[in-house]
This record gives sequence, C-alpha cells and structure tokens, in this order.
Amino acid sequence: MRAIVGLSFLAVFALFGPARSAETDLFPAVATILERHCLSCHDAKKTKGGLSLISLQAALAGGDSGPALVPGKSVESLLLSQIVGIKPRMPRGGKPLTPAQVQIVNKWIEAGAPWPKSRILEDHAEAKELWWSLRPVQRPALPVLKDSSQVRTPIDVFLLQKLQAQGLSFNPEADRRTLLRRLTFDLHGLPPTPEEIEAFLRDNDPHAYDKVVDRLLASPRHGERWARHWLDVVHYGDTHGYDKDKLRPNAWPYRDYVIRAFNEDKHYSRFIEEQVAGDVLHPGTRDGIVGLGFLAAGPWDFVGHVELREGSLDKAITRNLDRDDMVATTMNTFTGLTVQCARCHDHKFDPIAQEDYYSLQAVFAAIDRADRSFDADPTTVQRRKELQDLEAGLNRRRGTLNEVIHKQAGQDLAALEEQIEKLSKIDPGIPRAEFGYHSQLSLRQDVEKWVQVDLGKRLPIGTIVYVGCHDTFNNIGPGFGFPVRYKIEIADDPDFKDARVVEDRTKVDVPNPGIRPQSIKVNGQQARFVRFTATKLAPRMNDYILALAEMIVLTPEGTNGAAGVPVRAMDSIEAPPRWRASNLVDGYYFGIGKPEVFHDLTTLQARRKDLLDRSLDAAARRELAAIERLQIDLNGRRAALPPEALVYAATTTVKPGSGIAATNGKPRPIHLLKRGSEKQPGKLVGPGTVACIAGLESRFPAPEGQPEGQRRAALARWLTDPRNPLTWRSIVNRVWHYHFGQGIVDTPNDFGRMGGAPSHPELLDYLASDFRDNGQSLKALHRLIVTSAAYRQSSAFRPDVAQADAGNRLLGRMNRRKLEAEALRDAVLHVSGKLDGRQFGPGFKPFGFLDDHSPHYKYEEHDPDAPDSQRRSVYRFLVRSVPEPFMETLDCADPSLLVERRNETLTALQALALLNNRFMVRMAEHFAHRVESLAPDLPGRVAAAHRLALGRVPEPAEARLLTDLAAKHGLANACRLLFNANEFCFVD
Amino acid sequence: MTRDPRTHRQQTLLDRRRALWELGGGLGGIALAGLLDREGLLASSTKGPNHPARAKRVVQLFMSGAASQCDTFDYKPRLARDHGKAWDPGEKVELFQSSPGNTMAAPWPWRQYGQSGKWINDCVAPLGACADDMAFIHNLVAKSNVHGPATFMQATGFVLPGFPSMGAWVGYGLGRLSDNLPTFVVLPDPRGYPPNGPKNWSAGFLPAEHQATMVRPSAKNPIADLFAPKSSFVTAQSDADTLAALARLNRRHESERPGDSRLDARIRSYELAAKMQLSAPEVLDLSKEPAHVLKLYGVDSLDIEVKTEISEKQEIRYFGRNCLIARRLLERGVRFVQVWSGADNGFPRRNWDSHEDLARDHWPLGRGMAHGAAALIQDLKQRGMLDDTLILWTTEFGRMPCSQGSKGRDHNPFVFTNWLCGGGIRGGITHGPSDEWSYKPADSAHPTYCYDVHATILHLLGIDHEKLTYRHNGIDRRLTDVHGHVIKQLLA
Repeated sequence: MRAIVGLSFLAVFALFGPARSAETDLFPAVATILERHCLSCHDAKKTKGGLSLISLQAALAGGDSGPALVPGKSVESLLLSQIVGIKPRMPRGGKPLTPAQVQIVNKWIEAGAPWPKSRILEDHAEAKELWWSLRPVQRPALPVLKDSSQVRTPIDVFLLQKLQAQGLSFNPEADRRTLLRRLTFDLHGLPPTPEEIEAFLRDNDPHAYDKVVDRLLASPRHGERWARHWLDVVHYGDTHGYDKDKLRPNAWPYRDYVIRAFNEDKHYSRFIEEQVAGDVLHPGTRDGIVGLGFLAAGPWDFVGHVELREGSLDKAITRNLDRDDMVATTMNTFTGLTVQCARCHDHKFDPIAQEDYYSLQAVFAAIDRADRSFDADPTTVQRRKELQDLEAGLNRRRGTLNEVIHKQAGQDLAALEEQIEKLSKIDPGIPRAEFGYHSQLSLRQDVEKWVQVDLGKRLPIGTIVYVGCHDTFNNIGPGFGFPVRYKIEIADDPDFKDARVVEDRTKVDVPNPGIRPQSIKVNGQQARFVRFTATKLAPRMNDYILALAEMIVLTPEGTNGAAGVPVRAMDSIEAPPRWRASNLVDGYYFGIGKPEVFHDLTTLQARRKDLLDRSLDAAARRELAAIERLQIDLNGRRAALPPEALVYAATTTVKPGSGIAATNGKPRPIHLLKRGSEKQPGKLVGPGTVACIAGLESRFPAPEGQPEGQRRAALARWLTDPRNPLTWRSIVNRVWHYHFGQGIVDTPNDFGRMGGAPSHPELLDYLASDFRDNGQSLKALHRLIVTSAAYRQSSAFRPDVAQADAGNRLLGRMNRRKLEAEALRDAVLHVSGKLDGRQFGPGFKPFGFLDDHSPHYKYEEHDPDAPDSQRRSVYRFLVRSVPEPFMETLDCADPSLLVERRNETLTALQALALLNNRFMVRMAEHFAHRVESLAPDLPGRVAAAHRLALGRVPEPAEARLLTDLAAKHGLANACRLLFNANEFCFVD
Repeated sequence: MTRDPRTHRQQTLLDRRRALWELGGGLGGIALAGLLDREGLLASSTKGPNHPARAKRVVQLFMSGAASQCDTFDYKPRLARDHGKAWDPGEKVELFQSSPGNTMAAPWPWRQYGQSGKWINDCVAPLGACADDMAFIHNLVAKSNVHGPATFMQATGFVLPGFPSMGAWVGYGLGRLSDNLPTFVVLPDPRGYPPNGPKNWSAGFLPAEHQATMVRPSAKNPIADLFAPKSSFVTAQSDADTLAALARLNRRHESERPGDSRLDARIRSYELAAKMQLSAPEVLDLSKEPAHVLKLYGVDSLDIEVKTEISEKQEIRYFGRNCLIARRLLERGVRFVQVWSGADNGFPRRNWDSHEDLARDHWPLGRGMAHGAAALIQDLKQRGMLDDTLILWTTEFGRMPCSQGSKGRDHNPFVFTNWLCGGGIRGGITHGPSDEWSYKPADSAHPTYCYDVHATILHLLGIDHEKLTYRHNGIDRRLTDVHGHVIKQLLA
C-alpha cells in the first residue's frame, strides 16, 4: 500500500510544470508597491492630505495638492516626485523606496498608468503583514527534484529540495540493527530484544521495515512512550508544588487517559475538546471528564487557595496566577502562542493585546482544580446516563402532574407553597465563630463516633433536626465533618442500653447535605437521650472526623427540648469558640431557618400533604404514588452502581471539606489588570481569545445565565477550527521534534516573533494540512515520518553536511540521540529482566513518605526492588517540590514548568548517578544474575549481556576487556559498565 | 542535539560558552571572562568598560519561615515605648492569620556596636562584632504574604515555581572556578527542607549542570551518589578498573563516530566525577581544622546529632558547622553556597515562623545563626577572602510590629531586612530605613525589592543583570525579571 502512495505522489509532480514566466504588465508590481508602502495612509478610510490611491479615479482626482497622477507624464505626477530623491517626502515615516521600485513607478506612469478597471487596492502595509504562523495553512505543491532517487515519502521531497540546492543529499540508509534500535526507542522508549533484532535481520519481505513500524505502533508500549512527551508539555505532576506540597492522589487518571488516547489513536480534535471542555462537548463519557485533568495538571498553591482568607489581596493574586497557568498551558500546548507575555502589557512582539489575554482568563473564570468524580467503566457511564434520562422523564411527569394537582387543589395549595417557599429562603444570617461539635481525628474511616444530648427528663419527641457545620475559617464551607453513614437513636438510659433506632443511614453512603437542616419524624415517642452515631466518618485532609453544628429535638408542640442541655460525646476537640461539644445545642448554626422556622416548615408541609390527600382525584393520587415509587426505585438503582472514581481536574464544584470556595459555575469577574497588578483592576473582560487569526471570532458570546462550560467549549471550537493555522502546525511540529530531536520550528511553544522560523515552511504546511484533512491520526503522522528516507538515513558524520549546515537543520544525516531519563531508566530495567509491564493506575512512589504540615519525600529510603517500583517511568509518582534526584540529574522534565523541549546535559553528577545510584547498582546485579542463566561460561555470559544491552555481539577486543573485568571483579561490574557505556546512552 | 534558537548575538555567545564548558570544564570559566569582556557583556561601570568584578563568590544565608526584622537588626525605640498599647498605624491592616494585636517590643535588649554604632539586638549579638563590615537594608518588600511564593521570590526572583535559583544564574553567568567541585552547593537545615523544598535551588529552565549539589553533613551519604552504596561487588579497586575499561570502550565507540563532541564530553564527565570523588570528602572532613577554628564556629563536636526541637546549643552547632563547611567549599573553588536556617512549617517549630511564641523560636535560631555567620565573616576576613566573597543574609518576608496572640508575630510582607557583607560592599552603613514601627518602608514610594539586591550582587560579580538572559518559552528570562536597580549606596 505504501508503494502505491509513493507512485501516486510521484505522479503529482507531472501536473505541475515550471513556474509561469514573468508578467510583462507593470501594474501588478506597482499595485504591490502602493499596497505595501502607500495605502496605510492613502486608502479609502485614511485619506491623509485628502488623497486616496485605491483606484485610478481616486488617484486622478488627487488630494489637497492636486492630482497624484498624470498618465504618460511621470515628471508631472506628484506620485513620482514625492518618492524620488535622497530624502523623499514619501512614504512618510517609512523607509524610502528602492531605486528599482521608483523606476517601476516611473515606467508605469510613462506607459500611461494602465490600471485594470475593476481593481481596487487594499492596504497591505509591510508592518501589518501576517507573521508566518498566522497565515492560513496552504497545502503546498510538491517541488520538483533534480534527483528523486532517495525519495520514499513526500517529506523527503521537501527536505531533498533544500539539500540538493546546496549540492547535498541524505546519508545512505542506516543498517537494520541501527534502524530497529532507533525505531524501538523512538516509538516505545525501550531497546529492542535480541530476538526482535534477529527476526528483523532475517526478514526478507520488502515491507519488513513497514511491518516493524506497524507492530511498534500497535503495541501498548507506544502510548506509554509518547504520553511522557505530552506530559512534559502540559507539566503533569502528582503533587501540588509550593509550600505544603500535598499529594495529588487522583491525578493519574489523566496520565492514563493520555496513554490510552495515544494507543487508541484518538482523533486530535476530539483530544483537544476533551481536555478543554470534555464535560460540555462530550457529556456522559469517561474521557470527557478525565481529559479535564489537562487544565489542572500544573502546580497549585495550597496555602494560597485553602488557607488565605477570601477577599484578601493575596487570594486575588493566587487566583490570577492560577488562571494564568491554565491560559498559558492551553495556548502554549495547542497553539504555540506565548500569550502569557500579555499579562502585564500588550505582547511586545506578537499581535496579542492585553485584553485578549484577560479574555482567555475569562474562559477559565469559573473553574478550580480539585477532585472530580467520574465512572471509570464505560458501561457504568452508560447506565448512569440512562438513569439520568429516566429521572428527567420522571421530572417531566412530575411537572405534568403538578399542573393537575394545582388545578385540583386550587388556591389553597398555591398559598401554602408560597409560604413554604418563603420560609425555606430565610437568610442564613452572618456566620459566627461557634461552628459546632468536632470529634477527635481518626486515622480510619470505619470507626464509630457518637455525640448525645440529655433532655433532662423524658420528653415526647416530634422531630429531630440536625445540621452540618459551615467552616468559614478556612473556606472549608458547608457540610464540614458531616458523616458518610450514621444513625440516630433515642433512649432513656444514658449509655443507650435501651436504644431505639429512629433513623438508620448506615447501609449506604449519604450524600453530604451541606448546611441544609436534616429532620426525622419520631411521632411522639418518649425518651430522655438522643444520640447521633457516625458509622462511617467524614474524610478530612488525611484523616476522618465527625462534626455537627446543631441538634434540635422538637416536641410535637414545636419547642426545642435540647436547647442548652448537657452534651456528651465519645470524644471531642474542645477548641472554643469554634469547636466545643456545647456548641451542638447553642441555638446557633449557619443554615436556612432557625428551630422555630423549621417547626413552621414541617407543619406547613404536613398541611400540604393533608390538602393533597383531600383534594386530589384517584388518578392524580395514583400518579403521585407511582412517581414516588419510581423515584425510590431509581434511587436504589443509582445506589447499586459501582462507586464513582476521582480525577484531579478542572471543576466548578468541590466536595465539602476541600477548603476551596468553588464558583458552582458562576464565573468570577475578570478585570483587565493594569501592569498585571491585582491592585489596579481595569475594565471587566468577557470570554474570548487572541484576535490575530483571520476569519475566526475572537470574542465569545457570554449572555447572562449561560453555563460557564460554554466558554470553554467556544475556546475548544476555536482551537479545533480547520481555519486556525496554529493548531495544526503546532502538533505536527511537536511530533516532528520528538522524532528528529529538533522541530521544523525549533521552538515548539513559541510560534511568535521571538520563536524560531521554520526551516521548511512548505513541509510544515504539507504535514499540517495532511494531518488536519486526513483523519487527524497521530499514528498516521508517525508512520509518515518514520518511513521517510530522511528518518531512515544513517547518523554518520559527513564533513560536507557539517560544513554547510552545522546545526543539521537540513537533515543531511539523522541526529544521534541521547536517551532521556525515562528511556534510560526503562532500558536498564528491561535489560535487567526486571521491567514490570503492568499498565495504568496510581503511580509508584520511589520515596519514603511522611505526611506533615509540608510532607516529606525521602528518596534515600527507597528500595529499588520494592513492589511496583519496577514499572515504566511514565508511572512514576511525580513530586514537584522534591524531584527525584536521579531522574532530575538525567534532565527529566520539571513538572513545574511547561517543557517544550528538554535540556540535554552531560555532567559529572550524571556520571556519578549512573555509576552509583542504588537503583543502577541493584539493576547491575539483577542483570548479571539474568545473564548467568543464558550461557555456561563467562565469555558467553559477557556476550549475552552485550547483546541485551547494546543489541550486538561484542568485537573480540571489547569481549576481552569485559571478560577480564568480569573475571577479576564479577559479572555485575561488567554489567554496571555496560549501563554506563556511551553506546548504551546514545542511539545512532 | 537540541539547542536554543539563539537569534541574538548575546545568546550565540552564551551558547559558545556552554560548548566551552562541555568541552573543557574549568577552561570554559576562564575563557568566559574574556569572551564576556570582548563582547561587551560585562557590567558597565563608572570606572570604565573593563572594571573588574569585586566579588568572585557568594554565600547566601537564608532564614526560612520569615525572620523578624524588629527583633534582630531593625531597632525601633517606639516599639519599646508603646509596648502593650494598641497598635494603630492609621490604616486597615490585613494580616495572614490574625487580627493585629498590641504593639510588641523585642523581648531582648538592644545595644550599639562598632564605629557605625549600629543597634543590634541581643538575639543576634554575636554579629555585633562585624557591624562595621555589614551593610543593612531595612526597606525590603515582598510580593507575597505566603511562605511558598515569597521564598521562591527571594531565591529565584519569581513567586512561581520553576525559575532558576540565584546560584544557578551565577553559575550560568560565570562558570566554574574548580574542576573538582560543583559550582553551586546548598546546605539545607539539618532538620529538613524549607517550604518548596529543593525547588528553591533548582536550575529551573537553565541546563541541569547549573542545579545545586546538596550537601547534608549529618546524612549517611552527605552527597547523594558520590559513592556506590554498600553492595556485594563494588570495591575501590573494582571502581578503578571499571572506569578504566569504560573509558577504553567509550573511546573506541567515539573513534567510530567522529564529529560528535558530546561523546567526548561524556567521557570527560566520568573523569570529572572521579576528581569530585577525591575532593568532596576532603572538604567535608572537619577533623583537620584546628581547634581554635572549630571553636570560633561553635563546633564543639564533629558528631552532631539531629534533633527536632530547637535549642540554642544545637543551633550554634548546626549553623556553625554549615558555615565552616561553606568556607571550606569557597576556599576550594565553589562559587555559590546557600546555607539555610529553618526547615519546613511544622510542629514543634523548627523555623523562624514565630506565630505563637517569638522568644521561644527566635532566640535559639538567632543566637545560632549569628554565632555561625559572625565566625564566617571573621574567618573569611582573616584569610583575606572577605574582599572577594559576598555574603547575603535574607529571609522571605518580615514580621509585624504588633503581637499575634500575646507572644507571637504574624507575617509582614511590607517590610523586612537584608544585610550584605564583603565582596565590594561598603560596611557599616544602613540603607533604606523602615518607618517608626518597622511596618512599612519609611518612603513607601521607594521600597527595595529582591530585584535590586540581586542586581547589586550580579553587579559586584561583574555581570550586568539586564544582560544575563536565557530564552525560555519565548521570553528572554532574567534573574531580575523586568526590574532591578543596582543599589549604588551599598558599593564600596
């Protein structure tokens, strides 16, 4: 099939002859001069000196100084006299025209100033000319080569064109052993096995290479390799960073999402949509939620977000910088625009206004970073969606029934409901310090804790009301400490030997009600004690508690028998004023309605029920009962679904206790900040994006009440629009960068004026348009690149290429690559026979961990043989504040930075790490152990080790050197040497 | 090999310098000065274009947790006068944790020292002996009231993670002075890392060769991976033979692959590593120091146990030992040493973040720091090294003149103190006063930022802070961002 592709594009050459011969007509040249140098002041809108030069009529009509043009008489034409001379009057403020340009104008006027009638000129001043990356992507025609014998794919045509112009060509193809090692590291991040090498060497099929490419692309190892590249770009990490660098235990589902996306070859637009607005554009799908881990991937200032007071300046700074990170991550990753430079002022080099920047902040104005629930299993997603649909149907039925009910129950019902509505909306009042009762901390969730009130004597109990806490101190918010499962008992014995359970919520998890008062009917049973027992505690940061703001025990008459009575608890944190047991009955809680209000509310609700019983006809009553039954059934089915998983992602809601004052979908107002300072807010800015892409709307509609997600959806649509040239150029350039070690544009995150210029603009556009228009398949792109002759050529040094092109931008040879930290570590594990190939799930933690105010990460305590820790490096748990020294020394990406390309260094510390790090030493032992079983004698073992590590049998001299060392100091030292060899660390 | 697209001459130059490093270690550093000079990148100076750098090395003493200025170096009689009275600076005060309490005087007396008559609190009295060598800045302002971002700012010039530490910048700008030791060394508090952990001394986007090497004298392996862990097969002799064989294999491999300098650079990196294995243990071995020097630094035992609680005696040992090691490192060619006092936020307190009880934490930390710092200054001076060694004492922000609770002080990002000493600094002066409470700068319109201090330090090292740049994600980054003025008053 690939052979056919080759033929078809060769055929394309034939369609394009040499360029057309030059026009004899002078007008086009003159038009260009006018459009570039004159019309910025003399077009229809800005007629400086009253002169417009957009048409012949306008030029003849002239301006304040008279006609600009006298056809046939250049000497009398102002147009000419203004532009000639050493210091011409025009173009004003610009560079003088060149003598050649002046000559063209002169000749044209002399020739009678021929001007096609219909032609109206437009301002195309040079200064305003679009920067290369902002121009539309044009699919270029393939150039014609002098010699196409080296061509394998269209890529080669573009590259050879430039090489041949310098009298150069590609290197010959590398040998198969080298090719397989190159391909396997490139596509898998691992070395090939000796068996794979043998198989490839023996395969006589002309498509042997293509078959290897297909095999490698189909393997799950491929996604693991390329996900790591993507995680560099989006600065993925497993802790928050900054001070109090807390664990982010649910970040990994996003990492797994990226691996799956690459293995499944997800359509690129879909990949973008899921990461920016998956919840909106692909609702009801797992990836629509998990993809949002992208926006949350970067660092997050725990102290700033959780501990600072709402309304303080530092809070505003924290949020501003948090959104800045989302904006920069999104725009650098997908478009290669450094929009973050426009936070304090208009971008100094690129057409990005400060307002554009803040309009991008407005896109993310409603979101925070926090754990977000999702269903890991797609069938559960489906089932939950079905239940949602059922509930929607049920709600529609309820609506219809409601109309019937109101018709039948008449004015009385309406009045009653109005009262209920009014009472339910009573202002919760001003938060006070007396939060409530707070148990001691528990390290386990399944510990029981109780708190009880003593009513003083047996009382008839009508209703028990209990309310969750509202912790305003740290913005922990409503429902703090409310248990996941609980029961309520009444008794006459203080130790509850005669307990009667009046409410049992111990069987299934209860959703946190926040500060909505909860109530249960007791129907006048008598008791002296009421006890609230949590059977599954509320999670706090890293421990579990029970907290409750208030308990109210109403008699049937509506008086609160528990007001101010003695409170006893299994244990309690007594930290007044906020926390103490007596706060439970102090009459204060931050919630809707006070006890008496609550009593009124229950009375009204009872009256409503009575009214309905009296006035509804049989059919309506049946329907009411049916709906209730169905709702109970639905609730049961929902409770039976597997529990939802969590991913750390962009979200507008947070679970109580996380300490974040979430927006609940209401975007925070975004002001343009003068000089980037929170102290100088300017005008309010709505959602939008940069305005420099022709044909795309840069401001997104945001009518009042529009769900916030529409802002992100609009940005996702802008990003994936086929007319957005940046998106397509950016991704193909990124992929190219990882294959060759250098992008066509060598600044993958900066396509602006401070970035690099493309070495092969037509090739970039060829790849971008091909990718965009033909399925947006990254695997197809990989295949296209790695099957090119450019990729398959040898990396051998060539003096002629080096002389003409020291940086090898023209690719007259393949670049020799140094292994990245992960590839090196994985190769060591692989060769030692220790690589644990299990995919997915929480990252392995190569450190001892001690949680504290700021957690401690102790790498020196880690045992390289610990379970899980021999998995691939992409599954490593990434700590921001304390990077793993071994990997950091090997130039791994810093998860606090957006890493478009890694640094590549060769330092003494690196040498020490590879020689002496405990992991390396232990693996050398394992490697030696492995090869002992592969051959009976030392020379055989050394040869086996050499083949495993370097993919070839040693030359006699090498074998001798290694065998001598092994004989003297043991095989493990020879193995340790192989891990440190240049040949192991570089790929030809 | 990936490289920055250097469009500027300056960056091409820096690239050339990087290549020099890769090829020749110390040679690069020496060649660099000439290169910088020729290309006009050296700091411009009133004395002419070729003014020599005043300092070659830097020690940064970093007090983690926010050391109080008004209990140490910034004397405010008004606090003693108004002690216990309501504190009213005449404006709304937004504090990090609390509401403003009463005015609170320093718990200990103040005395005047030296020719300059500088008032110094008993908490840091040992530094009184050096007062005439020190230059104080009392109007530093932080851009964050939160430890993490504020610590980043003092360490890297930015409130965000990911930026290179000053030590990394200095190494990047000036290269190495020694083949045998790293350019940038950090000595964390023996109890643990400050807020942000080792990110405070990372190379950020600068090449990893500029990252700090961490030295933990109390740890089993003071320098990670300097030697192989105990194993059944690694011995000194096996190491020597392995390295020799490795070099031969690598040379053979290289000879078949001409034109790739990295292959040679990697072979050289193993030679450098071997040199470091010889030099580093010697630096950390204090047993050769004479008794009077050990005594000067307060190192009364070479075997120092690490305890969680703070005590004056322990602080003197910890900080003194780290200062002595710093001197030994500087002597042997390390360019930048960072010494930390104070670990992370936790309980019991083990840093300067005295919200609850200032006297409990500040006294031992202050005495320990001052003892070691004074010893370092005196020792460098008697060895003639103070002339070209610059010392910076800093912290992430200050503390409030009013109390928190009854005995603590809350954060004060509006004013705090730095001092500098040695390497071209005019001693015995005070620059940029704070107001009468040490609540804000006396002249609020002209505070000092870390940018100015960093610019001054680079200037003394012979570098124009606006020209030391590195392109990252489309921006030419500087240690001083887009700010910074050399503080001329501080220059000798």
